[in-house]
Amino acid sequence: MLGPLQPLVDMITSPLFLMIVLFPGLTSIAIIGALLGWLERKVTARVQLRIGPLYASPAGGILQMFADLIKLSFKELFVPENSDAFFFIMAPTTGLVIGAALVGLIPFAPGLQIANIEVGLPAFLAIITLSPSLVLLAGWSANSKFPFIGGLRALFQQTAYEIPLWLSALGVIMMAGSLNLAQIVAAQSAGWFIIPQALGAFIFLVTSVAEMERLPFDLPEAESEIMMGWQAEYPGVLFLAAQGPGFVKLYAFSALFTTIYLGGFLGPSFLPPLFWMLLKTLVIIVLIMLLRSTFPRVRLDQLLRAGWTTLLSLAIVNIGVTYLLVVGLPTF
Amino acid sequence: MVAQGIPEIGAYIGFLFVSTVALIIVLRLLVTPRDPRPTPEKKKPFESGQIAIGPGRTRFIIQYYPYLLMFVVYDVMAMFLFAWGLNLRALGEAGSLPVLVFIVVLLIPLGYALHLADHRENW
Repeated sequence: MLGPLQPLVDMITSPLFLMIVLFPGLTSIAIIGALLGWLERKVTARVQLRIGPLYASPAGGILQMFADLIKLSFKELFVPENSDAFFFIMAPTTGLVIGAALVGLIPFAPGLQIANIEVGLPAFLAIITLSPSLVLLAGWSANSKFPFIGGLRALFQQTAYEIPLWLSALGVIMMAGSLNLAQIVAAQSAGWFIIPQALGAFIFLVTSVAEMERLPFDLPEAESEIMMGWQAEYPGVLFLAAQGPGFVKLYAFSALFTTIYLGGFLGPSFLPPLFWMLLKTLVIIVLIMLLRSTFPRVRLDQLLRAGWTTLLSLAIVNIGVTYLLVVGLPTF
Repeated sequence: MVAQGIPEIGAYIGFLFVSTVALIIVLRLLVTPRDPRPTPEKKKPFESGQIAIGPGRTRFIIQYYPYLLMFVVYDVMAMFLFAWGLNLRALGEAGSLPVLVFIVVLLIPLGYALHLADHRENW
């Protein structure tokens, strides 16, 4: 009927394309990222007995981040002198791609998942591993002192949280017997993993906050110490590209926490699975935002020490407990 | 063709969104200020309002270098444990004993390395 345009129309109305473009893909990631920016400012303001964004719309300034987005994207774009322009621009934009790739692995409802791959959980953790390297690259390429210090801090911080993060996720894999996120959700139909994996969930939450570089572990960008660290030199829309992945990662990690510990989209059937998934994700997001406004920033040596002693040993204890739960007491 | 549960109008909304973003990008390339009077200070590195001194990529004390070295070893250990954890039910108790030995053998040097990492004069 449409002649030569028919393949194009078929493509943009295919389920996969709709998922990539609309939900859970790019459109929803951009809108949710901006709304999370507003929510974070609002939650932090409430904790500190302030009001927060108020004027950008009738509904409590909910359009504030969209206004910021327009403002930042019309600012002048320049690259500092003697900096490595290619890597300077490449690092934050690749960070955005990484954040979007993370959301593509999460099952939001039965069938509503962009990439249902067999190794979903390790793939998620492997993709996120790239992000501190990009921070180091961004900090090095700016040819400035504060970004450089921030980038090196990101490198050291990664060594502290990475191994406890992987080992706490291992507990879930031992319980579920699968690496596929949809199957991990299915394995929780008898009971959410947060109960047998309470210790693992705690370690996962702490290390994922460190991974997201949020307070109390926001050492690479520590505002009051090193002037936003690796983001210090970014102007206009590049600053937006440097800030954006933080909110996308917050969304993706909260969705992953919900998926592997809180039963994902499982819930009473009088509401659709997607509602339960987004509700639980929102609860985890607000919890992480409350951590931000509650705790002071740790020092790098404290984080390294805690990561290599307390968190790592707790993660190994968690693996031992999970072994006893799955296999039973040793008989020899 | 209507995708599962998503009305066809959704496709056009998504298409509209992507085109709007593309339009904004083109628009901002046209409207963005062109810096009519560039000053030498503008492109200098930011250093709290002072004029930057010395090279940007300064020397940085690698006082946490032992943690980087340990990371190289123990990240691989975590990966090996994934292979075991995935097949835990099939391996059972007999198959898990070597893994216990593996963890203990690697954790003893970890304790010693952490002890050494405390003494910065070693590095």
